Amino acid sequence: MIVKKGSFVIEGLENVQINIGKIGEGREETVEGPTPRPEIISLRNWDYRILDRYAPVYTPTSDLCDYCTYGKCDLTGNKEGACGIDLEGQSARQALMTSIMGSACHTAHGRHLLNYLIKKYGEDHPIDVGPSNLKAPLTETIMGIQPQTIGDFLPVLDYVEEQLTQLIASANTGQEGSARDFESKALHAGMLDLLGMEVADIIQISCLGLPKSDEKTPMAEIGMGILDPKKPVVICVGHNIAAPAYILDYMDRNGQFDKIEIAGLCCTAHDMTRYNKASKIIGSMSKELKYIRSGIPDVLVTDEQCVRADILKEAQKLHIPVIATNEKITYGLPDRSNDSVDAIIDDLVSGKQAGVLLLDFEKVGELVPKLALKIGPIRKAKGITALPDEEEFRKLVAKCTKCLQCTRDCPQSLPIADAMAAAVGGDLAPFEMLHDKCVGCGRCDYSCPVDIPVLNVIEKASQRVIREEKGKVRIGRGQIGDPEIREEGRNLVLGTTPGVLAFVGCGNYPDGTKDVYNVVEEMIQRSYIIISSGCAAMDIGMYKDKEGKTLYERYPGRFIKGNLLNTGSCVSNAHIAATTIKVASIFAGRKTKGNWEEIADYVLNRVGAVGIAWGAYSQKAFAIGTGCNRLGIPVVVGPHGTKYRRAFIGKPYRKGDWNVLDGRDGSVVNVEPAPEHLMITAETKDELMPLLAKLCFRPSDNSLGRAIKLTHYIELSEKYLKKMPDDWHVYVRSEADLPVAKREQLLKLLEEKGWKIDWEKKKITEGPLRKVDVSFQPTNVPRLCKEVKK
Amino acid sequence: MANEFPFEISPMFEGERVRKDDMFVELAGPKSRGFELVKAAGIDEVEDGKFNLIGPDISEMQEGSRYPYAMIYRIAGKLVEPDLEAIVERRNHDFQNYIQGYMHLNQRYDVWVRINKDAIKKGLKSFEQIAKATMMLFKNELPFIEKIEATYITEPDEVEKQRAEAIKIYEARDARTKGLHDEDVDVFYGCTLCQSFAPTNVCVVTPDRISLCGAINWFDGRAAAKVDPEGPQFAIPKGEVIDKVGGEYSGVNEKAVALSGGEYSRIKIHSFFEYPHTSCGCFEVVGFYIPEVDGIGWVDRDFNGTAPNGLAFSTMAGQTGGGKQIIGFLGVGVNYFRSPKFIQADGGWNRVIWMPRNLKEKIKADIPPELADKIPTEEDVTDLKTLRDYLEKKQHPITQRWTKEEAAAEVAPAETAEAAPAWSVPAPAMTMPVGMPMMPMQFGGGEGVKLVFKNAKISIDRIVFKNKEK
Repeated sequence: MIVKKGSFVIEGLENVQINIGKIGEGREETVEGPTPRPEIISLRNWDYRILDRYAPVYTPTSDLCDYCTYGKCDLTGNKEGACGIDLEGQSARQALMTSIMGSACHTAHGRHLLNYLIKKYGEDHPIDVGPSNLKAPLTETIMGIQPQTIGDFLPVLDYVEEQLTQLIASANTGQEGSARDFESKALHAGMLDLLGMEVADIIQISCLGLPKSDEKTPMAEIGMGILDPKKPVVICVGHNIAAPAYILDYMDRNGQFDKIEIAGLCCTAHDMTRYNKASKIIGSMSKELKYIRSGIPDVLVTDEQCVRADILKEAQKLHIPVIATNEKITYGLPDRSNDSVDAIIDDLVSGKQAGVLLLDFEKVGELVPKLALKIGPIRKAKGITALPDEEEFRKLVAKCTKCLQCTRDCPQSLPIADAMAAAVGGDLAPFEMLHDKCVGCGRCDYSCPVDIPVLNVIEKASQRVIREEKGKVRIGRGQIGDPEIREEGRNLVLGTTPGVLAFVGCGNYPDGTKDVYNVVEEMIQRSYIIISSGCAAMDIGMYKDKEGKTLYERYPGRFIKGNLLNTGSCVSNAHIAATTIKVASIFAGRKTKGNWEEIADYVLNRVGAVGIAWGAYSQKAFAIGTGCNRLGIPVVVGPHGTKYRRAFIGKPYRKGDWNVLDGRDGSVVNVEPAPEHLMITAETKDELMPLLAKLCFRPSDNSLGRAIKLTHYIELSEKYLKKMPDDWHVYVRSEADLPVAKREQLLKLLEEKGWKIDWEKKKITEGPLRKVDVSFQPTNVPRLCKEVKK
Repeated sequence: MANEFPFEISPMFEGERVRKDDMFVELAGPKSRGFELVKAAGIDEVEDGKFNLIGPDISEMQEGSRYPYAMIYRIAGKLVEPDLEAIVERRNHDFQNYIQGYMHLNQRYDVWVRINKDAIKKGLKSFEQIAKATMMLFKNELPFIEKIEATYITEPDEVEKQRAEAIKIYEARDARTKGLHDEDVDVFYGCTLCQSFAPTNVCVVTPDRISLCGAINWFDGRAAAKVDPEGPQFAIPKGEVIDKVGGEYSGVNEKAVALSGGEYSRIKIHSFFEYPHTSCGCFEVVGFYIPEVDGIGWVDRDFNGTAPNGLAFSTMAGQTGGGKQIIGFLGVGVNYFRSPKFIQADGGWNRVIWMPRNLKEKIKADIPPELADKIPTEEDVTDLKTLRDYLEKKQHPITQRWTKEEAAAEVAPAETAEAAPAWSVPAPAMTMPVGMPMMPMQFGGGEGVKLVFKNAKISIDRIVFKNKEK
């Protein structure tokens, strides 16, 4: 018998057992789209398209492979290793592993939160992220479903974890051998990273009452100088809000915010302020060692990610108890989760134990404030600090032999010996400069042959500037709401907004935090939309103008030209990427569900958004960048980014790389190189500025948009590189693309390049690569082209 | 690049503010008088690049002082016509703000200008430098201006005298704009600027319908089409009138086919239900049909709550956008409420049954007075029941449709017929939005196969209960 589609009647049921797995009310969950839940291979064609244009460039730090016992294998001179892998393959495998690690980090963070929040709020707790139709854009685009409750994210994380396992497996010796496919897999891991982050932030926004697409969140204080060191001080380090939330709740219930200072280091700090605005921010990971060594913290609470490996060791020296609250970082500490709070406090105050592992958040919430109140006065009475006193300081700086070993070991090559010499003469200014440029790694301590604790000396010398280190950060807002994007659409279309720049990532800056502030200030004035998150969002708020206002106080936080937005912590990065998906959905009606390739193709060709991770250091930042790349968003990293060892660089001179299809009829159009790169390093701030403007070009720009983008590209190049860009004319399709204030001069320059100009009409008659056609529908995906009947 | 002016000219300076302490001189503004005016003139009446100043120049002004200020430009060219004056004039604000150290606020007789001390230090000493830069920008951006000359006035009596004249001109222009309707012109304008983001959207801009982003009116379209007839804004000859009330024209339909890549073949400019205009994504307000009361509610971007149908702006906007023709939802610019042809195919204002308080406040003057207190807001009603009661109590004209409908109910579900017309576009464009009346479902009679389960084990991963409507 053949069962056909349609309805039928069951006449009778006998002895039937029906098992029901799950019951949901009122909605049907349908998986939609061409590639829902993409497997490793599902989006490979899209990856190839981008890898062919933006071919990976490798800068390996080692040309041997020692992954397995065959090795170590010398891979120089295109030699193959014992397993058959070559240096290109090995480099690509490194990129994959880096991307996987980062992705796993955010996903594990999300998993920890999800399990915890489901236990506390139930699977049916609704998603609530603010006024948006697309509530979880990345989840929709990747999974092909529209989640409604936090429980709906369970299969999402199952999927990410399964895929990550598959990817890790492919890195084993004797698995994948093609560099191109390693990169496709790295892109897959990057995409999974975006998804893991989205889950993590949406569930915490929905359950913990963090701001929901709120453009007017209050300001939080930031800086090493904001806390009153006379009060007991609690510092939370890491990324996961679960445990700190209990501490904040306990303090709130007991009215302790005026008795105890509580602040965070790294992204936990963002989420603490999002959770309770009484909380404060010390700063990025670069401040961890510096702040601990100051001796100001009385209790350190760690959770996960970007927590220094030596926190316990450093804290122990200064009798600061460490409360580890997450399985991922346990420091060999005893698990006291089942013990009474008072017993634990006794052991910590007496110094019997330097720290404890405490996985019961209720207990963490109660213990930490109590402990701070108890141990704070004791520590303060003793005046414990790692920093030398005046007398010691004078002796230490005098000891310096100017061997310069510290400078050689310093990741920023800072002129430490010069500062020592100046300090001998009583001039502390050079040290104060170093304080800002120093990323707080502490490597110099080990390099000094005469045992000067260099970092402590820098910090001691900088006490004056540290006391003044007080900034403001607008508390993380979460997603960008649809209504804001709709409103901004007009500016994007009319070209008055030249682009969207996302300043993200960590604090491993080449030349101090001030660069980020300076770049952001200029780009806001040029009407770019600036979105930030994580440590970059903190550093943007560290400086003030002559009226004493930070950038967050000067510029509002709406998704509109010339505004400055902070989405929140690391995992809030997902919302920045997701905004491009919203643009595709809102303005072009592109179906998002399970439709990654089409959306990414839209973003690559139309949305002038660029990510900047000026101080990126971690595998997480690499994964985020790689995920953005797969979504068609170019990313610029600072000079330390070369140490990621892989970039995606376009080659404008290879004309064929820049062929795209016109979606209207499938014809091939050779376009200008836009965007020119997908992941690239800028060596200096001067190089960064015009590069940012340039990476905002897109093939679909209308003339109004192109003229504005070109204006900034030319101006920034002239201002920072002191010359016209070599390739500005490549982006000119007609006279209407030319910056209005310089049209005549530029026409003359074009004529010198051999272009033909009709001077009477002031029109370009010959020269450009192609004509402007606002209805041009650039795409890199053949199946998205309309069939034309002939 | 070489610069003939002692100041930078760049959009970077658009948002620049000149504070009181940094100010060298203030011109016009709330504590003084001034205006800006662009006049079309014959080609032989204008001497290109000429500048004339009446009154003291910058170099003769005291630091911290205030002067009245008028800027008059005369433009000429084969394509220049008086209808373009207002469009050109509005650009004075944009262009002058490109000048570093020069702040220009407001327009027409409200202009307010400040010059920064730094600009003076860098060598700005005469209005001639400002005027030359502005005229250069005018000619670069609007090449139909073949000749331009400027007269600036800082002499109080002269400003007063000319200002009175200028106000008469503004008034005449406004009367012309207000009095100009779809039927008075032969061409409309199409705008495809947003196709860089919304590939299938085509905005038809007519005297009675502003673009739905609110940025382009008929005069803007006309000016842009003159700058570059092959550009993103272009003339659409109206052609034959197919539906006068709904606003359907053969010329528009032809263009719609061409520009949407065949996606749409008919557009009725003033219709909500039949072949409505496409919506991109930038619209300021969404109109939504509420079948239960047979009326149309409107919700704007700034409204955070939910409309009486239980939906928020974003949800409905999500159904509306993407350059698609969607029945039951329509995106519009706020200014469209001011159009005398406002959804006239569907009963115009008589069909409006709800809007948020702030939106209502904004367009209060344009709501027909007899309806003003009959259209509820979120303060009056919260759901469909209270909405219905309110409309009934206030005797909103929509209630007359109910009685008609009830009478006709036995014959056919009237609204279904109206809302789901014979449709000739491809399926993807025809999303049936939430809340639209559905065609009755065919519940099958189980033809063909009959199954008997015996000793079966049925495993169900998930059961979904669907709540029946109402």
